[in-house]
Amino acid sequence: MEQKKHWQSFGELNKSEAYNKDVKDEFKEDLPFVEDESKGFLNAKAPRRDFLKYLGFSTAAAAAAASCEMPVKKAIPFANKPEDIVPGIAKYYATTYVQDGDTVSIIAKVRDGRPIKIEGNDLSPLTKGGTSARVQASVLDLYDTSRLRFPTINGKETSFEAVDKAIAASMSGNLVILTSTITSPSTKAIVAQFLAKNAGSKHITYDAVSYSGILLANEASYGMRAIPSYHFENAKTIVSLGADFLGTWLSPVEFSKQYANGKKLDEKNPEMSKHIHFESVASLTGANADEKYLHRPSETAAIAAALLSAVNGGGVSGIADARLKEGIEKAAKALNNHKGAALVVAGSNDVNIQLIVNAINNAIGAGGTTINWGVINNIRVGVDADFAKLVDDMNAGAVGTLLIVGANPAYSWFDAEKFKSALKKVKTTVSFAGKMDETAELCKFVLPDHHFLESWGDAEAKTSYFSFLQPTIYPLFKTRQWQDSLLKWSGANEDYLGYLKNFWTVKLGGTNGWDKALQDGVITIGESSTRPGTYNGTAVAGALSAATAAKKGGKIELVLYEKIAIGAGQGASNPWLQELPDPVTRATWDNYIVVSPAMAKTLLNIDLNNAGQADAYEVNPPKKLVKVTVGGKTIELPTLIIPGTHPETIGIALGYGRSEKVGKSAAGVGKNAFALASLSGAAVNFSHNDVSLVVTGEKYPVALTQTHSRYDTEQGNRTEVVKELSLAAYKHNPTEIRDEREKELAPWGGLEKFESQGTLYPVFDRPGIKWGMSVDLNTCTGCGACVVACNAENNISVVGKPEVLRGHEMHWLRIDRYYSGDMDNPNVVFQPLMCQHCDNAPCENVCPVAATNHSSEGLNQMTYNRCIGTRYCANNCPFKVRRFNWADYTGSDSFGDNQKGHVNEVVLDMNDDLTRMVLNPDVTVRSRGVIEKCSFCVQRLQEGKLKAKKDSRVLSDSDVKVACQQACPTNAINFGNANSKESAITMARKENPNRQFYVLEQLHVLPGVTYLAKVRNTDEMPAHHTEGEKEGAKKEHTEKAHG
Amino acid sequence: MHLKYESQLREPLVYGDKTYSKVTEDIVRPIEAKPTKLWYIGFYIAVALLMFGVYSVYREVTYGIGEWNLNKTVGWGWDITNFVWWVGIGHAGTLISAILLLFRQGWRTGVNRAAEAMTIFAVMCAGQFPIFHMGRVWMAFFVLPYPNSRGPLWVNFNSPLLWDVFAISTYFTVSLLFWYSGLLPDFATVRDRAFTKLRKRLYGIAAFGWTGSTKHWQRHESLSLVLAGLSTPLVLSVHTIVSFDFATSVIPGWHTTIFPPYFVAGAIFSGFAMVQTLMIIVRKVFAMEDYVTIGHIEAMNKVIVLTGSIVGIAYLTELFMGWYSQNKYEGYTFWYSRAYLFSPYGWSYWGMMACNVLSPQIFWFRKMRRNIFVTFFMSVIVNIGMWFERFVIIVTSLYRDYLPSSWSVYYSPSIWEIGFYAGTFGLFFTCFFLFAKYFPVIAIAEIKYVLKTTGEGYKNEMGNIEAQKLEEFVHEHAH
Repeated sequence: MEQKKHWQSFGELNKSEAYNKDVKDEFKEDLPFVEDESKGFLNAKAPRRDFLKYLGFSTAAAAAAASCEMPVKKAIPFANKPEDIVPGIAKYYATTYVQDGDTVSIIAKVRDGRPIKIEGNDLSPLTKGGTSARVQASVLDLYDTSRLRFPTINGKETSFEAVDKAIAASMSGNLVILTSTITSPSTKAIVAQFLAKNAGSKHITYDAVSYSGILLANEASYGMRAIPSYHFENAKTIVSLGADFLGTWLSPVEFSKQYANGKKLDEKNPEMSKHIHFESVASLTGANADEKYLHRPSETAAIAAALLSAVNGGGVSGIADARLKEGIEKAAKALNNHKGAALVVAGSNDVNIQLIVNAINNAIGAGGTTINWGVINNIRVGVDADFAKLVDDMNAGAVGTLLIVGANPAYSWFDAEKFKSALKKVKTTVSFAGKMDETAELCKFVLPDHHFLESWGDAEAKTSYFSFLQPTIYPLFKTRQWQDSLLKWSGANEDYLGYLKNFWTVKLGGTNGWDKALQDGVITIGESSTRPGTYNGTAVAGALSAATAAKKGGKIELVLYEKIAIGAGQGASNPWLQELPDPVTRATWDNYIVVSPAMAKTLLNIDLNNAGQADAYEVNPPKKLVKVTVGGKTIELPTLIIPGTHPETIGIALGYGRSEKVGKSAAGVGKNAFALASLSGAAVNFSHNDVSLVVTGEKYPVALTQTHSRYDTEQGNRTEVVKELSLAAYKHNPTEIRDEREKELAPWGGLEKFESQGTLYPVFDRPGIKWGMSVDLNTCTGCGACVVACNAENNISVVGKPEVLRGHEMHWLRIDRYYSGDMDNPNVVFQPLMCQHCDNAPCENVCPVAATNHSSEGLNQMTYNRCIGTRYCANNCPFKVRRFNWADYTGSDSFGDNQKGHVNEVVLDMNDDLTRMVLNPDVTVRSRGVIEKCSFCVQRLQEGKLKAKKDSRVLSDSDVKVACQQACPTNAINFGNANSKESAITMARKENPNRQFYVLEQLHVLPGVTYLAKVRNTDEMPAHHTEGEKEGAKKEHTEKAHG
Repeated sequence: MHLKYESQLREPLVYGDKTYSKVTEDIVRPIEAKPTKLWYIGFYIAVALLMFGVYSVYREVTYGIGEWNLNKTVGWGWDITNFVWWVGIGHAGTLISAILLLFRQGWRTGVNRAAEAMTIFAVMCAGQFPIFHMGRVWMAFFVLPYPNSRGPLWVNFNSPLLWDVFAISTYFTVSLLFWYSGLLPDFATVRDRAFTKLRKRLYGIAAFGWTGSTKHWQRHESLSLVLAGLSTPLVLSVHTIVSFDFATSVIPGWHTTIFPPYFVAGAIFSGFAMVQTLMIIVRKVFAMEDYVTIGHIEAMNKVIVLTGSIVGIAYLTELFMGWYSQNKYEGYTFWYSRAYLFSPYGWSYWGMMACNVLSPQIFWFRKMRRNIFVTFFMSVIVNIGMWFERFVIIVTSLYRDYLPSSWSVYYSPSIWEIGFYAGTFGLFFTCFFLFAKYFPVIAIAEIKYVLKTTGEGYKNEMGNIEAQKLEEFVHEHAH
């Protein structure tokens, strides 16, 4: 039916041309309305709806646009896509972590041109894919905002050309290149070439914490000023005199791997290496030892001498302490029992002690078995006396030009003031530091070096074992490799890359070999056979008499030690390392005085055996300040009570109190303790045998991430948390742990049926993949590499000291440390704890909005978008592994520009555009107000599943490795599909039925993580084993533990 | 005339020789008079507190929960403590109006209006905490199960927090309706006495056109009974469900089946204490001693000593079970973290014991029950004690749970946590001051309902009649 049409104007009636045009052009712009023939918009039937639709949309859009101010971040795509880069697909490059002498072969993961994660290189014959916390964290240093961005002359920006000219003009007098240990063969060649060009010049190596004692002792004993290869894996008996070889001594990654070999327990044939440790201040290695004995640092020489005497069949003399004497006898017996499979190492920098240790090693046949002189360890070659002489030369005006690479004596030399004044007498001072460190600050010319991830290079950590560096990113700043500078200044035409390539193509016989070596990252050339070394014992007699004549210690002695994360100060500017809790003290962001419980009682009036006083100490972060005076120098630090420290010894960590110019995270953190060291003979002595302490009466807060350390509390032995037993007990009754679990769960059907009978609810099948993890507490050393790896992989926020103090640290994975037994010298167990991915998770059912739920693959998942932040899940988690975003730590808040309140300097620094380049794009950064936790690296699981799917095959273990597992230097973490019959995790569970346990199993939360109990190689037999009484077992065990 | 006969031996519920008009006059007087200076001072203090609370919450919402001192182990502290405390206080009102109505307790009429108002305001205060303790409060609507465009996402009906959402919103709605329906006839009274047009209009709207017809009264009575029937289970359910927040968890100290009755008793305990605190002030300030009599106060003190003792038995039962269960985790929480005076939070447990269990025993003595000062003092003490109870339950259970490695540093609140709490006091008293000024604080209609049986004047009259000789009575009434 035709509609009647009313005309509104004459134009319309006449349908004039002008009118028609008007009608058509009523709206000048193209409106997306439906053109309704000639009827016009208002007459049309449908457009009214469209109009309303658009009206509604535009109102809503305008409202939305006006109300939600979201910061716009632009991503610029490639104009021309590089052929081999696919956005979103990571590339991996083999390179090498080089920090002074420390050398670890690594694989750098590069996403969209940015290295974001470091993994160990499995091909390396030394570290075999292991990493350390420092290696894991080094990728963050690349994006450090405090890196130097251009060369400077007297602090003013300039160009490399200008610097080259200026230096050429001012180079005068005797030239000295001062470096930390160089392991790079090509660099050594360049240095030699450069020295040859400049008459009277020389190269001095300076290590902040040197191994002069060993080097010089070896020169006397073996005729080589070198450190041999140690092989802990070949040792059935390991005796360490204060060498923290799992934490900081020499090459901890390599040693951890070897050590774990001897600690891996085969349940069918339970044998382990035996590690006896003597030390003064609790260390990571001491914590892992089977037996540990405490002594004063001044007694070390006497102990070494006594041990030598005992090993040689003589008695132990000169040791007053009965327990210590017994320990030495035990050690000697164990060493003699395993001649040819025993090793003694000492951490002391005293030549005499190392001479005695060499004699012991010779006596027990370590040469050629556990010590290999065929392969030399090149990672520490500096001798302190050389540097001391250099300082004197400088003072005397005998040095005209000083080039400094890696070394930072203005900070780490015990007499830094003397060095500083000496430096003023040097006309031309050049620093190649990547950051404005304490020494570079005093230098005229500063030519910043590349970060190792931007560098070319090679390294020879051990003779014949080479590792290569290749850049993983174009240099971020105007920096230049120092080798390039040297080449330029020696008049060479080629740059370092050309030199390096040439150097290696000649060696490897062609570019193919070079390419292959670079791709693998490692190569072994000309490996010589194992050699025992030619021992010459003439110096021992002198050393022994020096040992007996050694000055007895005063009332209280001091040990200066390195921390795993900070080292000699290299890690101080890395927020990940600063926030990594020290494995032994569980403290972050500070150094402090470590005192024993006995000293705490006398000095601080804190009795840890008194529950009330212990509580007060534990729950209140402010700790008492103590002033330490050592030979006229004083330092004031807070005290931490650490069981396992000698009652008359205190410990202070090196590496703190750095200049704020090296990074915001180093500013104002701790105090520099290098000044407390002293030069004795040819080596710096990092202990002092007479210090005085004064309690100042003030307090200073220390940010601890764990305040309570005993699981065998008086109120109940919480063995469901962590299980440990002696090897003897295990051999006596291998199924003890299993029996205990069986008994505990008997009312609910025992181990077999606990899952179904422990609940009223129906039990579901779990077909397909079921992710599971197994952690071997026997091989876990507690080193913390996994924690930093987890930080890097999962974009975990750094929160800074003020927030850690308030219990706001964000770590998804933490390493719990527990003590048991004797308070003065307890057993220590480390337990890595991450989300247990419970199949009956208490966190899941309490979330009102179902933001955390269970995947069909056994993952306890966290949906950040859905989370409203009630924190109920965190409260109800018996493992307390959930972390809440208390403030806008990541800059990804729903409110833009909201990093206020408790967001401190360090957090802001981590959110700088440069630093954010380290973020893993596969992992969401979490916004303020949501809970987060371990996801079992779900991004890696997805990637692995897709890989398998693309290849149309079943998922295998090699497809999926979680970050903590990959970082672990001892392979203590096992992960995979527990439903698969072949997977490593299934095998691990099947092969270790006796040591296996779940944390808090009785709660029926059904964790997805199994632990293997810690077995300590001792003969201790809990009373109930011998009496054979099961009933009294628990009570007696507790009593024993309280000992 | 009311058919109920009440013994002469019982104390009157309304003192003084009151008539219906006198009652109206007494109760409406404060509404029609100008507020006193004291009222202004109190009101402004309350508003100032409220503003401080608003600022505290503003900081927390914009900067994050980090403005509070909670930590990775203690995820709830003052926030949920205050929530449970306020919800507990919000219990007396409905108990008085609903359960006592069903039990035909005449004495409720003097205090029910104020008690119900207190309930409404307390629940409003309580509600702030679960809302603003959320890390992302702007997403709070996620807890509402409504059809949405976010795919198949739905709330988690397993979560006690969700049950809270329903329990508290239901309780609030029903309490509000109950309170308001009771107010209708009184609003009509105020309207009818209005001396300005605006008053007439406003109170007229509030009165919903109440005319006082028999039909109105009949419906009003039925509605009251229906709502009372609805509220009665709610009185028990709300705090039961609040207790489920803890009881259904796995944390030692929380995971206990005793919680529902124990929480309900505690809630009534604290609710009555709060009614006492408020009524003692109100009767003094508004000169309503005739309506809120010493008898009322004594009756409530009896409830306090009863519920306080129930709570005390619950505490002892918990301690007993902590030992009897031989569960070392529970044992540690109850015997060390709580009952050991020298443990870090031992003071809060013994503070709770002293305030909640020991001190209310004073009310076994009649003299004490009828002493205004003692009652006022005790009512404050009880509420402090009940705050301690919630703090003890929440914080001492959380800060040291299963893994010794996770045991927390000492948790004490930040200024903004305290500010939030103070702010809810501000909200509560702001509302209460407005209520006292603009609403009849005593249910006029209900007082009149009991006046002729329990009013002193009428009782005396009745007494006179009883004392009269029959002949005289007949003679008198024959005219």
